[in-house]
Amino acid sequence: MEIQMTGQTTGKAIELEQAAVHFGSFQAVHPTNLRIEPGEFFSILGPSGCGKTTLLRLLSGFLDPTGGDVRIGGKSMVGIDPSVRPTALIFQNLALFPLMTIWENVAFGLEMRGWTKAKRRARAEELLATVALSDHAGKMPAQLSGGQKQRVAIARALAVEPSVLLLDEPLSALDLKLRQHMRAELKQIQARTGITFVYITHDQGEALTMSNRVAVMNRGRIMQTGTPDDVYDRPDSAFVATFVGEMNAVDGKVVTALDRVALVETPLGRFRAANPKGLGPGDEAILFVRPEKMRLLNAKEDEDNSIAARVTRRDMEGAWSTVVAHAEGRELRLHLPHSGRDTPPSGEVTLGFSADAGVILPKGEMSDD
Amino acid sequence: MTRLFRAFGAPLASVILLLSGVWILGLIAAPQLIMIEQSLWRMERPEGSAEISVQIDGLYNRLDVIGLDRSVAESETDSAKRETELAALAAEEAAIKAEIAVLEEKESTPVKVYTLDNFGQMGSAHLAIFAKTIVASLAVSAIALVVCYPIAYAVAKLETPRTAAAIMLALVIPYAINELLRIFAWQMILNNNGPANALLGLLGFDPVPFLDSGAGVFVAMVYAYILFMVFPLYNVLETLDSNQVEAARDLGASTWQIHRRVVIPHARPGIAVGCIMTFMLSAGSYAVPYIMTRGTAAPWFTQLIYNRFFEATNWNVGAAYALSLLAVCTVFIFLMMRLLKVSLKDIAK
Ligand SMILES: Nc1ncnc2c1ncn2[C@@H]1O[C@H](COP(=O)(O)OP(=O)(O)OP(=O)(O)O)[C@@H](O)[C@H]1O
Ligand SMILES: [Mg+2]
Repeated sequence: MEIQMTGQTTGKAIELEQAAVHFGSFQAVHPTNLRIEPGEFFSILGPSGCGKTTLLRLLSGFLDPTGGDVRIGGKSMVGIDPSVRPTALIFQNLALFPLMTIWENVAFGLEMRGWTKAKRRARAEELLATVALSDHAGKMPAQLSGGQKQRVAIARALAVEPSVLLLDEPLSALDLKLRQHMRAELKQIQARTGITFVYITHDQGEALTMSNRVAVMNRGRIMQTGTPDDVYDRPDSAFVATFVGEMNAVDGKVVTALDRVALVETPLGRFRAANPKGLGPGDEAILFVRPEKMRLLNAKEDEDNSIAARVTRRDMEGAWSTVVAHAEGRELRLHLPHSGRDTPPSGEVTLGFSADAGVILPKGEMSDD
Repeated sequence: MTRLFRAFGAPLASVILLLSGVWILGLIAAPQLIMIEQSLWRMERPEGSAEISVQIDGLYNRLDVIGLDRSVAESETDSAKRETELAALAAEEAAIKAEIAVLEEKESTPVKVYTLDNFGQMGSAHLAIFAKTIVASLAVSAIALVVCYPIAYAVAKLETPRTAAAIMLALVIPYAINELLRIFAWQMILNNNGPANALLGLLGFDPVPFLDSGAGVFVAMVYAYILFMVFPLYNVLETLDSNQVEAARDLGASTWQIHRRVVIPHARPGIAVGCIMTFMLSAGSYAVPYIMTRGTAAPWFTQLIYNRFFEATNWNVGAAYALSLLAVCTVFIFLMMRLLKVSLKDIAK
């Protein structure tokens, strides 16, 4: 599968400088600074209603910022109509034109640019071939399956040779298998075309597997930007820590703090953990530990931190199992690799985690999912 | 049918069938059939009525002859012979009178004759009015479409639902007033000394004879039937996914291109319904041309039909005229559907 671009298109950089969006008195996007590199696969991840679509409409031109600047390829885009921006948008519901054939859909942008029918048709056929839909050129959108429609939408957007492709949860309507397949396909297209992809999703798995970098958004603010490893392993706010991946959280107060590590007092005891935000003694804090970083300790085993708990449930997840334990009325989860030989833990156990497995972050809003 | 019975049970299904039957017969078939029947016959003097007249004349001659014979007989001296001759003559006279009565009855009673002649009755003057009515109705539909499309689009796509509801309500409220009163209002507005001409006068123009020129009919008709264009358009435009409009724009379409390639194709069923409704209402309108022209401009075809029924009292020709109009309207419906590539199914939606 090779996508041939006729012109000389490469991805362009996107810059937001204090860009903000108000709807009346409601601030949908707070002043935001962001730079997306040319040719990057950049995801924006966040819960429903956090302003992802709004941010994307800012880039595609359907909204102008109520403050700040939006630049694509170094040029300010404020006041520039969507029809002339170097962007193409793939809608959440795809928005294929139901009364046009597949090839007419794909060729729509070329038609608008005044290509002759023969040329457009030829180009549409080429693009359809790259998304494995050659046999369907003459059909209507309603005759295609979800995944096929998805690919038509991609081909239609690529036809105008954008420098930036904006995707608004394009896979959310597909079933799991197809979604995984399309992820790979999108990734390939992005790698081959070199177009900058801005990919919006509330599915963290999607964001983590596909992106070069991810921005996690909440309530109109970008909370953290970084590689998938950064946001997963080094969250810098309670929200990012809890929104991305599963997390155990226990609130407490910092007792002593060294350069990188702090001791925190919690209802479950005192724990040592990383202190990336440099909290000081007396600060309200939350201790976070990933379930896969928790271990079951043997009777004689020693660890930086340990918690006495009682196993209440075990959920088999396939490659691993989730053990749910309770301590002082709080729920703690740990993931155990599934070998099929061990007897599942039960009753009173001791859980432990190393100092660098836990992280202490300032008290703040947490994701509730 | 069996599905109906299974779904609703025998009693309810029978009621439904009965009601549909009554509906189809009473509301659709009966009026049309009556009109068709009416248009297909006329009353004629009976066949061979000329010979009957000759026959009657002959019989009257015969009566005169009998009168002569009687005066001859009365001068007869033999009283017995005189009596018998007079009696014979009286008998013959009575027989002839009876025959005349029968023949005259036969001659003067017209008979019902089925013929297509009624449809051929339209003289060139009426044909011209017919053509004018059709062309003017087409123009009314076209103007209504041009006026309503932007309104319907703006209300359906640009306004928030609440504003849209308010605007639609504002459009409907005037229609709570009786149609005749609204037309009279327009008659007054467009009168030679009405507000429209007063305004033109203020701007330094000479008064325009809106009503005498027939322009008034036009304006009032667009006004009277515009709702029947707005609503179908609004309904169909409301169902257009805004993302499609945005997708087209994102792919480089100008406003005109968006409408030509995305919005209008989507709106086709609504356009068809709106055009058909305004066309039929305009072509069949009686009150608007009647009130607006007060007989000063050439009449509308419906007025001709009306006149056949009530002034010329020739119902058969009236029915034929009405059916001609109906036929043109039907042709128009199918033409519209062909032109806009919509099927009955789309329209039913
Ligand atoms: N045109 C508008 N007028 C007023 N408020 C709006 C408008 N568009 C969006 N909002 C508000 O802005 C906020 C962000 O909306 P947005 O559509 O960007 O969310 P999102 O992150 O894309 O959510 P989802 O994942 O559900 O699509 C929401 O609270 C929404 O109600
Ligand atoms: Mg959204």
